[in-house]
Amino acid sequence: MNSFGGMALRYEQSSCRLELKGFPDVSAQPLGVDGRPSLLAILTSWELNLGQRASLQGKREHLEALVETALPYVRSIVSGVRHKQTSKTAVVILAPRGRGHQLQLHSSQPNIPPLDLQLDDAELADLTQCLDQMLLDPRQGLRFEIPALKPQKLVSTGPSMQHWAAPAVAMAAISVCALVAVFLPIPKPINPTQTTEQVQKR
Amino acid sequence: MERLDLLLLAIEALDLHGSEAMLWSCEQLDLQEAFPNRVALWKSRCRNPLRRTSSRGEWNLKEQDGLIKLVCSLSQRLYPMLRQLLCSSEPDELTAQRWALFQERYNDLISERMNLKRGAVRQLLDEKCGAQRRLEVIQTLALCAGLGGMQRLGASLMDGGK
Repeated sequence: MNSFGGMALRYEQSSCRLELKGFPDVSAQPLGVDGRPSLLAILTSWELNLGQRASLQGKREHLEALVETALPYVRSIVSGVRHKQTSKTAVVILAPRGRGHQLQLHSSQPNIPPLDLQLDDAELADLTQCLDQMLLDPRQGLRFEIPALKPQKLVSTGPSMQHWAAPAVAMAAISVCALVAVFLPIPKPINPTQTTEQVQKR
Repeated sequence: MERLDLLLLAIEALDLHGSEAMLWSCEQLDLQEAFPNRVALWKSRCRNPLRRTSSRGEWNLKEQDGLIKLVCSLSQRLYPMLRQLLCSSEPDELTAQRWALFQERYNDLISERMNLKRGAVRQLLDEKCGAQRRLEVIQTLALCAGLGGMQRLGASLMDGGK
């Protein structure tokens, strides 16, 4: 906490640093051990530093958009599918690109082209770690909406022929067997009064 | 079921003392009710149908949550190593050596413990498919490391069949 009563929270990984700046809501929260409010409840600014490549700043809405895009995207990778994710306001887009991931950020100011970044798996993991740490930090009282992690219905990317081949062969085999059984001659009933010799002669 | 066991197997491949770390983590994470000792943890992992000596039955909720906690906690511990494997800015030669070392240990553990007659196991050891499977395992561990990853991993285990 600085001399003006502001607070800063920082989350760091090798290639990613997220810093939140703001103020505690003095009226709404109990005081900490040292007699000062301990929860950052009003976000004034945030900064995401992705190594030496980009430094992003924005308002609360932009951070919310990043959270609502990045976490479902990571969730889709953990499930073995890579789905493009776009925030509700279309400010942040995360999509697979090559062996890595494309992070596209659209500025809310006019005439500014979108920032396009290529992240590798390690950088995406670092970003996820920073966002996770922020969301789970007990010093942060911003009440972000955490995207629901519902089970997904996975669609297999394999060729459909492989899926249908086995049942189709099984059905064909059953049909052939049934057809053969229909054309087989029905054995004539044996008269119980006939002797074994008579039957053999016949 | 097999997914969690394979993730734990990857952790063992990354860390030579992985099995000891699992027991130690069980104590640290207060999982002793679900896994009171080494045998209980081993029995639980043997529910994986791909195992050479697999046992029937499903995990109860405590066991499943315990294993998810264990995977996420150990991934957090091994996060620097996972990151090195996934980082594209590291020298290619060094990355290739790291992957080769992981592949050797992982494949050794699979050959030792899994039923090699199963197609899924043969796929894991396959030259072509195996590399992709190993990458997926390392990605999953890196993206599920820590407390935040627990929900992600838990939810992904409930996904519809792939």
